[in-house]
Amino acid sequence: MPPRKKQPERQIQQTQLQTVPADLIVKRTKRHLDELERSNYAEPGVIGEEETSGAKGRARDIISDRRPGPGVSGKRKSTLNVRGALLYKKNLSQLIEESGLPALPAGTPSYLTAVAPPPKVPPRVLCSVCGYWGKYKCRRCAMPYCDLSCQATHNDTRCEKRVI
Amino acid sequence: MSKPIIILDNGAHTIKVGLSTESVPRLVPNAAIRSKGDKQLYIGQEFDNCRDYSSLTNRFSFERGYLTDWDVQKAVWDYLFSSEGMASDFKNTSLLITEPPFNFRSIQEKYDQLVFEEYEFESYVRCPGRSNSLKQSQDEEFIPLLLATALAPYGSLFASPQHLNVPYPECSIVVDSGFSFTHVVPIMQGQILWGGVRRIDVGGKLLTNHLSNLVSFRQWNMLDQTYIVNDIKEKCCFVTSSFKDDLETCRIPGNNTTLQYVLPDVSRNRHGYIRDRSTTNPLPGSNRNPMESSDPSDLEQILYMSNERFTVPELIFNPSDIGLSQAGLHHTIADSIASLPEDIQGMFWANIGLIGGNMCFPNFENRLRQELRALAPIEYDVGLYPSQEPILETYKAARAFSNSSAYFNLAITREEYNEGGSNACRRKFRCFDWDPIKEKQLTSARPSRRDRTRGVDTAQSGEEDSEDSEVRRVAKKTLNTRKREKVIPATTKTKRDASLRK
Repeated sequence: MPPRKKQPERQIQQTQLQTVPADLIVKRTKRHLDELERSNYAEPGVIGEEETSGAKGRARDIISDRRPGPGVSGKRKSTLNVRGALLYKKNLSQLIEESGLPALPAGTPSYLTAVAPPPKVPPRVLCSVCGYWGKYKCRRCAMPYCDLSCQATHNDTRCEKRVI
Repeated sequence: MSKPIIILDNGAHTIKVGLSTESVPRLVPNAAIRSKGDKQLYIGQEFDNCRDYSSLTNRFSFERGYLTDWDVQKAVWDYLFSSEGMASDFKNTSLLITEPPFNFRSIQEKYDQLVFEEYEFESYVRCPGRSNSLKQSQDEEFIPLLLATALAPYGSLFASPQHLNVPYPECSIVVDSGFSFTHVVPIMQGQILWGGVRRIDVGGKLLTNHLSNLVSFRQWNMLDQTYIVNDIKEKCCFVTSSFKDDLETCRIPGNNTTLQYVLPDVSRNRHGYIRDRSTTNPLPGSNRNPMESSDPSDLEQILYMSNERFTVPELIFNPSDIGLSQAGLHHTIADSIASLPEDIQGMFWANIGLIGGNMCFPNFENRLRQELRALAPIEYDVGLYPSQEPILETYKAARAFSNSSAYFNLAITREEYNEGGSNACRRKFRCFDWDPIKEKQLTSARPSRRDRTRGVDTAQSGEEDSEDSEVRRVAKKTLNTRKREKVIPATTKTKRDASLRK
């Protein structure tokens, strides 16, 4: 028998598995954690007025001058050390760099080594909308949700805006 | 002894301050707060005058638990000292101030500079808060023994009705969960074992911000109202004993866990409060949709607190819920104890003290005990000692310390500071300090033979080996001297452990 006519080979369609790259998720988590550490809420895009320490006009204006010191005559000048400490504020990251902690020999306890160890159990995933167990993940941005109504809410409000 | 001592528990959120004669300290917010409603800047104590609690902008002097903004701090201290008779005469008063563990040397120098050069106190003591929170030793002979090593134990954290006459346990773990972070600190014979200190970066600030994120997404936008959200957190949140069960319960409409919190109303000068269950309106179906107020006649804004009540404090036990890659408090305690010599681990498990603002959450102790019992080896007892007033505990211990004779031996005077500078301070507070290199620097004027023959690195590693071996030495001494009851009597529990292990 002659060979059966074969159908033309069908192209197997690769469904695009839209996974969110892992580094985006890491970046997003880190940004979220940094936001959680801030003291004041700043609207995204608006520069906080407290941060204008670079502006020459405000650089010398420190709060502690506005209030009188304890029983001190206004004429007394603070020592150089104290003025320096007051004016030049350092961030924690600057302090860590300056203190040279990474250069200490391994084994010495320090601020950096005292961090709690990473968790031994995998993280629990909670729904980003309502807080119940997050059984499913959004295809576009990998945020968890628990059911269809939460998925709808997520799509309307938070999806893809979160992906950098 | 007749000199007045000011005790300043310098916290990131509140300062607890008082004279050593006052048993209850004053609580002063440690920040410069600008209120948009009142259009005023409140520094520290002035905040009591603030009427409008919405849209406050905080400027804290602490960043992530360490004092970086000295400007604000000095302003707060100025205002603090100038009020209510504290200003009297600094040249004759002494100051006891607390600092966070692993404090950076540059910050420590600034503390010294400010205290002596600006305020000109006569003498002062600076120490990590945790080393203070220990029980007052009843035995007078105990104190001279410990002076040689470090701060003698004070405070009544581990006191309990049955153990009234038992002095402070030699080995203990103090868990301090505050505004910026949570520390687990093992203390042995009054000295902090720096190798076992662990830090979880979850504190009151993170919890409040997390709660405000949740609430802002699900209900009313409260992102800029940290003060009110903080109030909600303190009033409504609790620690659950079983996360799964409580999560399921919250799905059922009309359950007992959901609360209604009425937001404060500026126009009527009302503070926020939890609405009584008897007057609670039934929820419209699920718990997730309270956008309009259910009581239009009163125009109240209501927050429905259901699973937020316990998922927020849950972060202390599971920081990975928000993606923070650190173990929870129970695992961290286990890890900290595991890093200590094996033979004395049991003593640490039996004496775990809890202090700090976050301990005020209801049910914290039960949950922690439950979790720790699962992690501790079966032969050890797990002893938890939550403080009755977690926020004031460090102040009380500091006060007890300042009343003791050890205080003036430890304090550094202005004359000594003028001669020796910050190095002199560091030398005196060496018992509290974590930095091993300072040993080398302090003796660098007289180079030892060891330095000359070997290189710098080996000398340093010799230092850190010596800390480890010192722990073992002290551990051996502890086991041996337990028989000498007069000098270091142990609690009954640890004695039982020892006999079990033998």
